[in-house]
Amino acid sequence: MTEDMIICRCEEVTYKELAETANKYNCSARELKLRTRAGMGYCGGRTCRNMVDKLAADLTDERQTQITLKYQPPIRPIHFGDLGGGQS
Amino acid sequence: MNNVIIIGAGPAGMSAAIACAQKGLDVVVIDEYLKAGGRLLGQLYEQPDGSWWNGIEESARLHQQALDLGVQIQLNTPVNNIEHHDGQWTIYTEHETLSTNHLLLATGAAESPIPVPGWTLPGVMSVGAAQVMTNVHRVKPGERGVIIGVNVLSSAIAMELKLAGIDVACMALPKMSQLTDQQAHPKHVLDSLLHVSHMAPSQFVKLGSKLMKNDFMKKLGVTFYPKRGVNMWDIPIQLRKAVIEIYGEKQVEGVTVATIDSNGEIVAGTEENVEADFVCIAGGLYPLAELAALTGCPFYLIEELGGYIPLHNERMETPLDGLYVAGNITGIEGAKVAAAQGTTAGLTIAKQAGFEGLDGEIEEAIQVVEETRDQSYIQFHPEVNKGREMVKEKWEEYVLPLRSI
Ligand SMILES: Cc1cc2nc3c(=O)[nH]c(=O)nc-3n(C[C@H](O)[C@H](O)[C@H](O)COP(=O)(O)OP(=O)(O)OC[C@H]3O[C@@H](n4cnc5c(N)ncnc54)[C@H](O)[C@@H]3O)c2cc1C
Repeated sequence: MTEDMIICRCEEVTYKELAETANKYNCSARELKLRTRAGMGYCGGRTCRNMVDKLAADLTDERQTQITLKYQPPIRPIHFGDLGGGQS
Repeated sequence: MNNVIIIGAGPAGMSAAIACAQKGLDVVVIDEYLKAGGRLLGQLYEQPDGSWWNGIEESARLHQQALDLGVQIQLNTPVNNIEHHDGQWTIYTEHETLSTNHLLLATGAAESPIPVPGWTLPGVMSVGAAQVMTNVHRVKPGERGVIIGVNVLSSAIAMELKLAGIDVACMALPKMSQLTDQQAHPKHVLDSLLHVSHMAPSQFVKLGSKLMKNDFMKKLGVTFYPKRGVNMWDIPIQLRKAVIEIYGEKQVEGVTVATIDSNGEIVAGTEENVEADFVCIAGGLYPLAELAALTGCPFYLIEELGGYIPLHNERMETPLDGLYVAGNITGIEGAKVAAAQGTTAGLTIAKQAGFEGLDGEIEEAIQVVEETRDQSYIQFHPEVNKGREMVKEKWEEYVLPLRSI
């Protein structure tokens, strides 16, 4: 039940997949994200970011002064054409 | 080019816009939502003096005041990036790129989710979404709901649902897991509830109950976790039950709850079903600092303020030239504190834009923030003052080496 629970809705990544990956590789939040694609979908991790963060190995010192999962622009979905700056 | 650009039309952003415009600055406010007011829009509750705090009216008042002063307000406009080059800030929206020397980020707070098996079913929403549907759009989220997560915000919203004639079957804790923190721990939740018990009396009086503050405290505290829970506004608050699953074929049909011991562990064989057609998840709030995080502004993780906080001083300046912050982006607090911080930020911006003789007004505005905080009716974290002190210390640490150069 808990195992099959979806954590990242955009990329359909389950709790089990995240927990197992975190265990196997003892990885940081960023590595966990790159290995599973959790947080890399359409919404840019707006829903699952905190959960991916919690499941990752806790690197406490760095966490105090650095946001573990970096924010990248664009922070909201935009049209591809607008991103390229070309005429529509 | 504009004198001032403000991102966020909540109480912080609007109060800042008003303060700047009163000093004669040209101000543009940008917000992605369709109405001005931010999270203020959903708020509706009775204050200790018996008057009602009506967020829609407060928002309309701020909006009108800003318009009268000539503030430009662009709604339905998400900002997707900001950049700093040669002393100028560039603000990217989908259809327009703006620039300014003075940029205020007043983007407010976001809700933390708590994952629960079945939480992707239609009918499951954050407690804030239920608040917006009910109080802003006047649409019932359902007929009978269950709230997962017992905290200040979910208690206030449960009462608002009740006022709208929506049945709340119960409030219960989430099942403990690696993802739930202390929200699944009865003792912790009880402590934080006792802290807000001052919110109870006026509601009880209003709804005709005879219960007063002390009884409420006693009921919660002395008879530590009665099995059937404690009723608040007729809603059973279950600190000894956790939701282990949300069930339903195509949409929410109910939740399965189980008894938990005082450490939050499930007692096997105690599962029972509670019927409901919607479920609210209340995982607490954190500062929405995405845009600030793109700028290279230093951040600190301060739990007392709800999460990662961009470094700032009491005048609402960040260490970056021309970048200011105000409201819940600086820590989770009530709307009145956010508005007072906004006024402070607005005055600071006016000063930095060249207006002289504002130091006295800025000092007063800082005082007002502190007084408002001390008198505040809703407090999201009991240690908020400690959190504020920590930010002050970080600021001193940061600017000290710069000063001695
Ligand atoms: C669900 C919820 C319920 C709350 N309920 C209460 C309550 O009952 N009582 C109380 O005192 N406090 C409550 N709060 C706390 C609330 O945050 C403060 O009361 C207050 O609204 C904070 O004001 P603010 O101006 O800092 O931010 P907000 O009021 O949140 O306003 C921020 C604005 O910024 C906009 N924005 C954010 N990012 C972008 C972007 N990239 N581009 C464009 N626009 C953007 C948003 O659309 C929003 O309108 C609640 C908060 C939440 C999240």
